[in-house]
Order: sequence, then structure tokens, then C-alpha cells
Amino acid sequence: MGLRDLAKRLSVSVEQIDDERLQDRFADLDVTKISAVTPRTQSRIGGEITRTRITPRSGVPSFEISISDGTGTAVAVFTGRRHVPGLEHHRAVVLEGVPRSERGRMVMLNPAYTLFPH
Amino acid sequence: MFQSLKRLVIGRPIASADEGHQRLSKKVALPVFASDAVSSTAYATDEILLVLLGASAGAAAFTKLIPIAIIVGVLLIIVITSYRQTIFAYPSGGGSYIVSKENLGDVPALIAGSSLLVDYILTVAVSVAGGVLAIRSAFGFSHSWTVPICLLCILLMTLANLRGLKESGSLFAPPTYIYVVSLVTLITVGLARVFIFKNIDAIDPAKVSEEARHHAEGFAGIGLMVLLRAFSSGAVALSGVEAVSNGVPAFKKPESHNAAHTLMWMGGILGTCFVGISVLAAHLKPYRGENDPTGIALMAEQVFNGRGIPFWIMQISTFAILILAANTAYADFPRLSSIIAKDGFLPHQFANRGDRLVFSNGVIFLAGVAAVLIWFFDGEISQLIPLYAFGVFTGFTFSQTGMVVHHIRLKEPRWRWSLAINAVGAVTTGIIAVIVVVSKFTQGAWIPAVLIPFMVLFFFTIGKHYKRVKAALVVPVGYKAVRHTHYVVVLVGKVNRGVIDAIAYARSLSPEKIIALSVVQDPEEERALHQQWDDYDISIELHTVSSQYRELTRPVMAFLDEIDAESGDDIITVVIPESVTKVSAQWLHNQSALALKARLLYRPDTVVVSVPVHID
Repeated sequence: MGLRDLAKRLSVSVEQIDDERLQDRFADLDVTKISAVTPRTQSRIGGEITRTRITPRSGVPSFEISISDGTGTAVAVFTGRRHVPGLEHHRAVVLEGVPRSERGRMVMLNPAYTLFPH
Repeated sequence: MFQSLKRLVIGRPIASADEGHQRLSKKVALPVFASDAVSSTAYATDEILLVLLGASAGAAAFTKLIPIAIIVGVLLIIVITSYRQTIFAYPSGGGSYIVSKENLGDVPALIAGSSLLVDYILTVAVSVAGGVLAIRSAFGFSHSWTVPICLLCILLMTLANLRGLKESGSLFAPPTYIYVVSLVTLITVGLARVFIFKNIDAIDPAKVSEEARHHAEGFAGIGLMVLLRAFSSGAVALSGVEAVSNGVPAFKKPESHNAAHTLMWMGGILGTCFVGISVLAAHLKPYRGENDPTGIALMAEQVFNGRGIPFWIMQISTFAILILAANTAYADFPRLSSIIAKDGFLPHQFANRGDRLVFSNGVIFLAGVAAVLIWFFDGEISQLIPLYAFGVFTGFTFSQTGMVVHHIRLKEPRWRWSLAINAVGAVTTGIIAVIVVVSKFTQGAWIPAVLIPFMVLFFFTIGKHYKRVKAALVVPVGYKAVRHTHYVVVLVGKVNRGVIDAIAYARSLSPEKIIALSVVQDPEEERALHQQWDDYDISIELHTVSSQYRELTRPVMAFLDEIDAESGDDIITVVIPESVTKVSAQWLHNQSALALKARLLYRPDTVVVSVPVHID
């Protein structure tokens, strides 16, 4: 290993390490990279759940997850429910739906989802 | 508890309104301002001899002593005359820094200022070392005690000055006058015995020490370099002469007139004593090695026929005046550093007055550096001397040059005559500064020569920074604060009293949006938190972010960045619930929150709020 490689290894950030890990995980699947998705077209994307959002019990129910595949992040919103079984942190999912761009985020409304086994 | 300890050591705080303006009469002002300058007679002659004897000059050293002393005396007359002009030109107090700043600009002022700061630090180190040497000569304790005793003296002086020891005449007058009287007695009796009664012999070097006897056998020729070095050592006698011109406002009215008189008296005493002791030394020939008693101690013993009462008075008053000399630096250093700090070239902390109205930070800083110097140079005055004179003469030079410009600028009556005096002063002291730094460069004069430019650079960097910050904070009249979209993010671990209180607090800020954020390690934690959120029926939305790498700070920062990206003009308040317990147990809490707070401090448009939960 050359000195340059060593320097690279030592200077790489945690974000980069995570991005590489995620890219490897979703490389072999038949999915579009999140960074390459065209808005308003039927798409199939994969990623790991990195964030969830729940609304208060008294409010309008909705459940939101963010997934990341190392190239970008996308958000899936499930309206009318406060919880979706199986959609929790670190789970990998494939989402199918029509994404649109909303304030800089790629958002899918009520996509079809496929959970990866643990 | 700390409060009580501080009260015991420092004393009761004094209100700002109680700052008294004590005016000094000439009789009281003389010891206050002269102790620094006059005290140098205690070691200046020894330092000249040390250089000459060190060069194996033997008896020839003493023939050169008187000419050198006379040249230093002439130099003293020049400097005193020059400073007399400063006193009349700056009745409000004209230290080198002020005079240079007003007439020459920032750079020369900072050079003069840093030279003086270095000089004051060395005044403490040199005077304490000299004082301890004086009592060591009398009591003869071993060399290993020197450094601890020096450090003890510095500690006591620091405490006294933190208590706000004013340069009170009642304290300064007796030791200074006793010292001057004993020294004059020593010189008079000694010279009378040499010239009139002819009943005194030179000191027998064999009785002093082996090293002294060895010195007495020297017969090498004295080169120009050695002479210049000896002269540089003697020139330290002039340190402290500037004190009167710094403190003109402290005199009774008419201030300038009284100050000028005091300056003349001081010059007279200093010159007479210095030349007198040198003449006496030339006849008594006090050969001495580095660990022997001081020249004054040796001569006092010889002149007063052994170690009687006059000898003890001489030695103890020497110690006292040297400690007082060090103490004047304790008054000057903090004052000068506070002036420089007010001009924005030193951290503002140096301009803050402590409990007792003294510039505490300056006092502590001075004591710390002086203590390090003493420790590093092993309390050896002759090793500290080469560092000393350069700063003194640099300060003189800039101050006198400033006066030259002052005369050219203002053209007051008889300005040509005054100009000539100050020009002579500036040129002479400038030449001496160069002689000092060149002749003693390798012995230690390089330290201030290198240090002072660095200090100036450092002051400038600080000055630039403060100016930049100030400029950035200035806004025109009618400036309106920008209306931000306000988001509040409440950090949540588990739902508990702290979190519920923090959410209630966040609500009271009535922001556009409140978000609860939790960083979770695994799905179980997430599930438990969701359950709690429902059980407690908390009415704000909850975001959980996963931390694959078990970090707290990075996911939070990333989350905030994302909120920022949503709207351009937002301000984010991060609310952190914090448990506050006893001081002794506080370290068990909030360690990760502390790290997070440190990071958030540097994030733009972010407010960090700790909502405390007090636990008894």
C-alpha cells in the first residue's frame, strides 16, 4: 500500500465510509440509484432506512421514512397511518412509486415497499 | 468555598467608586519612583566587574571601572535631561508607549510597549534575584535555597499586589531612604578611610574564595568587546529612570514641576551612589567569584570592620529596596498592559480590574513569567542581566524619538533647544541599545531581540482581529434585525421530566415549527421511544435518526443542515434538556451534550439553549 493510499484511508470521513458501504449493498439489485432518479416517472429505488418521523397521536396521522443508498436520500410518506410494521431503522427496503421533488427532497407518496430480510 | 478562600487571600472587594486619588509630595514620591532606579546600584557595579574579571583582567579591571562608571553617569545625565522634557510635555503621564503612539504611530508604540513589558518582567526577576543574593551574602545560606526563596518572594509580592498594595509612601519611604543613607555612609566612610585616614587595605581575595583569588591573578589585556560588554552591564543602572515620567499625575500640584524636581533628585542620588560605589570598589578591589557575597557586602564588611550593625543594615535594606524595585514593576506592568489592551492589542482581559481594583490578570501574568525566568536561570542575577538592558534602551530610544517628533509637530516656545536635547537622548540611547544587543548577543541579549519583534507581531495580529470584529459588529442607525424563520429542535433521549419541560419551554418561544429529534442506535430503542411518545401523548412530531457509527454530534449536525437547506433564512434553536445536580456530581451528566454544544457554538444561525432540571 502506497503512502498516498494510506493518507486517503486516514482522511476519509465517516460519511464517505457509510456511502461506500451502502453503495456496495445496493449495487447488485435491479434498482435505480437515487441520485439518478427522474422525478415524476415510475421508479424503483432501494436504500437503508436512516430516519423516521412520526406525528403526534392527536394530529393528522402520517409516517415518514428517509432512505439512503449512498448516492442520495429519498423520503417516503405513508399517509393515514402512524406506524408501518417492519419499517424501522437499519432495515433495507425497495420502494416503487412516482417520486417528486419537494423543497429539494425526493419524496414518494405511499409507495409500494418490499422489506429485505434481516 | 472558593469564594471564602479568595476572600481570605485577596481581601474584601472594593467598589469602583472608592478608587482614591492619592497625590504624592516630593518627599514621598522620591522613594516611590526612585526605588527601581536607585536599587540598580546594588548590582550594577558588580556586573561590570564580573565581565572584566571574567575576562581574566585581574587588577586592570579596577582601573577600567571608574571610566566606565563615569560614562554611565554621563549617559544618566543625558537620559534624565531628556526625560525632563517628557515630564513637561506630558503632564498626564507620558510612558514610552504613549509618547511613541502619539508621535510615531502604532508600530513604534508597540515596539516600545513590548520592550517595556519585557523590561518589567526582567525587573521583577533581576531585582528579586539581586535581593536574595544580598541576604544570601549576609546569611550565607547555600545556593540551592536561592530559587525557592526567590519564588517565595514573587509569590508574596503577587499576593500583596492582588490585594491592591498601592505604591504607598509609608511602605516605600523607609527602606529606600535607609538604603540610600547606608549606601552614602558606606561610600563616605570608605572613601574617607581610603583618602584621608589611609587606614584601610584592599580586600584580601584569598579570604573571599578560591575563585576570587584566581581572578586576582588574572593579567590578560582588556579588548574592546569586553569593555563594551562591561559597559552594557553597567548601563542597567539606568533602568527604572522612566518611572517618574510615567507617573506625573500622581504628584501634588504643580505636577510637572514637582515631578521634574523629583527626577533630578533621583538622578543625583543614582549617579552619585553609582559612581561613588564604583570609585570605592576601585580602591577596595572586591574580587569575587559567582558564588561569593556581593561587592557591597564585601566592601561593607571591610569598611565597617566586620559584620557589625552597619553591615546588617546595609544588606537588609539592599534586600528591601530590591524587593520594592520589583514591586514597582508590579504596578507598571499591569498598567501598561491595560493601556495596550484598551487600544486593542492585547486580550481585553488585561484591561479588567479585579476585586481590589488592580489589573489582576496583568499581575498574575507578570508573576508567572518572572517565576519561570528565575527558575530557568537558576536565580542567577548575572545570567539575567544581559537580557535586561536591551528592552530598557529600546524603550528610551522610542520615547525620545517620539519627543523629537513632538517638538517638530507642536513647535512650542524654545522648541529648538528641547529638540536638540531629545535628539541627543534618542541617538545616544539608540546607540547604547545597539551596543547592548551586539556585545551581549550570545550571552542572552538575543532573547529579547528575538522576542520583541514576535510580541509586536502578536499584538498586531490581536489588534487586527479586534478591529475586524468591531467593524463587523458596527451597523448604521436604523438597522433592523432580519426576520428569520424560527425552528426549534428539542433533543430527546428518553421521555422524562427534562424532555417534557424542554418541550413546554420550546412552545413558549412560539416558533414556526417544533421538532423533537432523537439519535437512536438500533430499532429497539426507536420502538421504545415511539411507544413512550404515544403513552405520554406528546403533541409534537418526533424524528429519529439512526447512528450507524454510534455518534451523537454528526447525525445532529447533518439533521440541522437538512433543515437549513429547506429554507434560506431560518434560525434554529437547539434545546437540550440538562440535569443539574450537585457540583461534585455534575461531571456524571451531560458529557455528550457538552461536546455537542461546543460544536454548535461555531454553527451559524444556531442558538443553543439548555433547559435545566434541578435535582436536589
